[in-house]
Amino acid sequence: MSHPSAMRIFLKTIVARAYPRFVAAYRNRAWLITETLLPLVGTIAMIYVYRALHAPARFLGFVVLGGVLLAFWQNVIWAMATQFFWDRGAGNLELFAMAPTSLAAILLGMALGGAYVSLTRAATILLVASVLFGVSYSLSGLLPALGVFVLTISALYCLGMLLASLFLFYQREAWQLADAMQEPIYFLSGFYFPVRSLGAVVGGVGSLIPLTLGLDAIRQLILPGTPQFIPLSVEVLAVVAQIIAYAALSQISLRYLERQARQDARLILRST
Amino acid sequence: MSTAIRQWRGFKAATRLGWQISSNWTQPLVFVLYSVLRPLSAAFILVVMYRVISGGGANTAAYLAFLVSGVAFWSFVQYGFAGLSNGIAEDRGEYKMLKYVYTSPAHFYVYLLGRGLAQLASAVASALIVLIVATIALGLPINPLHINYPLLLAASSLALLAVIGLAMAFGVLLLQARDAHGYGELGSGVLYVISGAIFPISVLPGILATIASLSPLVYWMESIRRSLLGSQAIRMFPSLSDGDVLLRLLVTTAATLILAHLVFSWADRTARQKGLIDMETNW
Amino acid sequence: MDIAVETRALRRVYRSRNQEVVALDGVDLRVARGQRYGVLGPNGAGKTTMIKILVTLLLPSSGEARVDGLDVVHQFRELRHRIAMVSGGENVGFGMLKVKEQLWMFSQFYGMPSAPSKRRIGELLERLGLSEAADRRVSALSSGMRQKMNLIRGLITNPRILFLDEPTVALDVGAARDVRDEVRRWMAEDPTRTVILTTHYMMEADELCDRVAIVNRGRIVAEGTPAELKQRVQQNAIVDLQLSPGGRLLDALRAVEGVAAASVTEQDGLDRFSLQLSNDAALGGVMRVVEGSGRQIRGVQKREPTLEDAFVKLVGRGMAEEEQA
Repeated sequence: MSHPSAMRIFLKTIVARAYPRFVAAYRNRAWLITETLLPLVGTIAMIYVYRALHAPARFLGFVVLGGVLLAFWQNVIWAMATQFFWDRGAGNLELFAMAPTSLAAILLGMALGGAYVSLTRAATILLVASVLFGVSYSLSGLLPALGVFVLTISALYCLGMLLASLFLFYQREAWQLADAMQEPIYFLSGFYFPVRSLGAVVGGVGSLIPLTLGLDAIRQLILPGTPQFIPLSVEVLAVVAQIIAYAALSQISLRYLERQARQDARLILRST
Repeated sequence: MSTAIRQWRGFKAATRLGWQISSNWTQPLVFVLYSVLRPLSAAFILVVMYRVISGGGANTAAYLAFLVSGVAFWSFVQYGFAGLSNGIAEDRGEYKMLKYVYTSPAHFYVYLLGRGLAQLASAVASALIVLIVATIALGLPINPLHINYPLLLAASSLALLAVIGLAMAFGVLLLQARDAHGYGELGSGVLYVISGAIFPISVLPGILATIASLSPLVYWMESIRRSLLGSQAIRMFPSLSDGDVLLRLLVTTAATLILAHLVFSWADRTARQKGLIDMETNW
Repeated sequence: MDIAVETRALRRVYRSRNQEVVALDGVDLRVARGQRYGVLGPNGAGKTTMIKILVTLLLPSSGEARVDGLDVVHQFRELRHRIAMVSGGENVGFGMLKVKEQLWMFSQFYGMPSAPSKRRIGELLERLGLSEAADRRVSALSSGMRQKMNLIRGLITNPRILFLDEPTVALDVGAARDVRDEVRRWMAEDPTRTVILTTHYMMEADELCDRVAIVNRGRIVAEGTPAELKQRVQQNAIVDLQLSPGGRLLDALRAVEGVAAASVTEQDGLDRFSLQLSNDAALGGVMRVVEGSGRQIRGVQKREPTLEDAFVKLVGRGMAEEEQA
């Protein structure tokens, strides 16, 4: 019996799973308020903290760039990693799981669909906060910074897939844990201050999150005067290594935990 | 059964439910992490931001105390405001039980008050732990023997009344939206900016600073810092005595409660007119 | 015989911290290709667990299951191309999408090319009378329309074996009939297609299925065509007694000599006792017990046996009673 190739199913699944997210963003514009204003308010609060301390202008830039990448972190956590928890509750997960597609493709589709909202959110923070508070950037570093940004987001999505498989297993507790870990992650990733301020040990632990090194590299490239945590080239190489490592780990863990989930009835809402 | 007993039972059930939703449905360890890790990390973020700029000299303790006390007590607003207003939307959309609560003999106000108090109870542990850890770790000038407890309690009672009133009005207002995700956090985020929690409101542009001065939360924050730190507190209103600050808190709280009641009544009536209490949502 | 589904000693135990629930307890099942096969039993009998194992969502604790010749534990990736499942009362998908968009989305998870998929969706919507709702949002559908949409989702990918888990639960009479009609039509299109249907509606199993397995407490207690199963109670006279409400009476009726089995259901405010009598003389004993109970007789009727009667005879009590046990 011949079937469409696995690659064809994989790609079609990504597009199909992204589709409801695109449609939802188009048909229900309410997200424009919460998804752009909320992070903007958070970013502005931090900017005022630096203002109150009479910090140099580049510190406001640290906060703005942190706010931009934070939008993607939130997309990965809330629109990707924890999503299986909600899908299971709605009964979608069992239909995804029993289709001849891969859960990785479903996750990537979710992320792709959510990226549209995240991009809007990130662009709003970048534009509004930069204009409102007069933050300027070095144009010469813009293109390489864009490259680092793409690498960082790729590594982030691979980590998101790894987390999703763990969340599939730990479910409600994982959702609570993700919620509880928001501020600790903001702290460890140096969203609002240069990573170097964390010191070698805490900064090193924080570097396991791809955002930490990616954000530091982007800051080094477009905000002159950023205190260097580790050399730029090392940061870029580390992010590339994270892409490979997290992609491989997520595949292994998705397969393993899908089997475990079939064993422990975690894909279904049970009714004997 | 007398009305008072019926209302008391409704209140107890709502408090218990609120507590279960925010705590017992998960592992105790996760709940502790949740209550402590978030505000503690938020405090550390501000500490690092301050240290990066100030260089960590000996005279930094007063400002650090300003930041830490603001973050620690902000948990009450975070839980009370975002928790309760989201809770109303959750009760309708996710748990689909708002309609039953609404049609029960317990007054809706009483139910929401119970649900809100459960949220505030979660905030107590978090505020205490952040204060204790930060005081020890950062050497803050907070001495439990020298705290002005009457001022702290009076100010906090008034402010929390205002927070619950605002949250109830905002939560019922959110019933107008089919998808109310994120609005609770957005509301508390806006309050965060205009409440002097992590920076003095004098930093804000003129119009925002004026709006901020009408919020009871600013005077609450000021009272907290004065009660915890005494003369060492960095003051947002140096010209006002403790009594003046408390009086302003009382007046703004009363105004907030009146406004909240009006909004609540309007939103409640509209929700019934439009049949929003049991609306199917995109939860 | 060409076998579509086969299980051997299939067992599934759910374990949690405090308890262990045996949902399936050694089920042996053989379903021939081309059949509409019913799995009939009360709520909690293990029907859904069986389906979830067969559609690869759940691993058995022990035993074996093969669907379309493939092992559900190890060959699940290949098997997923060949099967589909539709459950009753499903609220799956995304309320924001239009009906045709939601159906298209699910078809893509099977790698279907978009154009044929959309054509097929159009045909099926037409067939189930949903063409006008094609552009309506999923959240705006009635439960009957939603279930028809779910059935279409199961049919778009042209599965060789379709699993229907209580597909008409909570539907009104018209919508339930439409769903059953479509299942018949779909089967008639291709004799190699197979349907496995779980239900606790006796009438549905009787009307729709070629063969039926009666499941109770995780075990198959009888298997055969509906006619064969009803045959088992053919030697008994089936009498329905409608009585005014009152205290417990069932055990007293069961104790009457000549009453082979008895069950009770509530209907229009009256208690309807279904009695299987091995001899006509037993009716006299029954009447004496009823008179002694003080209840009033509102109706007595002799009728043909149903699958419900077969169930009562096999299990010893009615489905409703079994669900409460």
